[in-house]
Amino acid sequence: MNVESRPISYSGGHTLMHFSDNMKESVYYHYSPTYRYSFGIESLDDKILNTSNSYLRFTYLLNRKNTKNAQRNLYFQSGLANKDNNNFYGIHGDWETRRYFVGFNYKEVKNIIDYTDKHIQFGVAPYLGEYDDFHTWLMLKTKKNSINNKQITYPMLKFFKGNVLLELGYDKKTDWDIHLMYRF
Amino acid sequence: MIRLLFLTILSVNFINSDEDQHMHQHSHSHDVYVQGEKLEVDQKRFKKFLDGLNNSQVAVVNVNGMVCDFCARGIEKTFVKDKAVKRIDVDLERGKVLIAYTKEKEIDFDEIKNKILANGQNAIDFIILDI
Repeated sequence: MNVESRPISYSGGHTLMHFSDNMKESVYYHYSPTYRYSFGIESLDDKILNTSNSYLRFTYLLNRKNTKNAQRNLYFQSGLANKDNNNFYGIHGDWETRRYFVGFNYKEVKNIIDYTDKHIQFGVAPYLGEYDDFHTWLMLKTKKNSINNKQITYPMLKFFKGNVLLELGYDKKTDWDIHLMYRF
Repeated sequence: MIRLLFLTILSVNFINSDEDQHMHQHSHSHDVYVQGEKLEVDQKRFKKFLDGLNNSQVAVVNVNGMVCDFCARGIEKTFVKDKAVKRIDVDLERGKVLIAYTKEKEIDFDEIKNKILANGQNAIDFIILDI
């Protein structure tokens, strides 16, 4: 799983996230009344269009399939901006086992220029940690947005223990991807 | 369901101080056997979980969709709010949640199912062990 693969927490759960990449820098807090949906607020600086927005965000679990060794999810995600109708919406899907992860994200963003943002992510756990262990994942992320229209693929490392999760990715063209998540 | 009831009845007063008399551990396996019935829990983990517990009931719950530590955190947080819960453990490898309750607690599978569903996973079945 990755940071965006868990856009909804457990019932009554709070989540605080920081996200930074070549496109944006954001701080996002959400609350999940149930495991089916979450709502929250996000403060986002768009580095490409040089704009800042605050969003009221809503995420809904469209479909989930649990099996003994895997979980598959499909989410609807949306954000209402505080100005200029700079709203966004999209879908996110993932499938994961304890060993493997595959996820995708597709987002339509309204801004000074409207654009789409999409990525696919693959992951493998080099070892299977138990509950309370320190967990590590090796990921590969490929992303593209309709502004620069370039496909960028780069490796990521993911670590989590307890309620804290950190994802780090690096590409020499786009610099660092940093995602930090805390659940409480 | 019949198998569940059978296991539950068999396990009454199981694992007291004379643990070896009741729990037969196969040295070539990581599973725990309760009077010949395979419990399918990690032997070391299960023994550690039981360590120091007495006058309790343990619910061993099979859960679907429990594929990562970070995703299972809410299960522990939900159950520990119940004052009748003495201890909880999550076995990711075997997809099991172990919950130790006080002896007085009337364990209801629907309640367990709902608490696990609140975390987004599905409880499939369970057995209760009296210790």
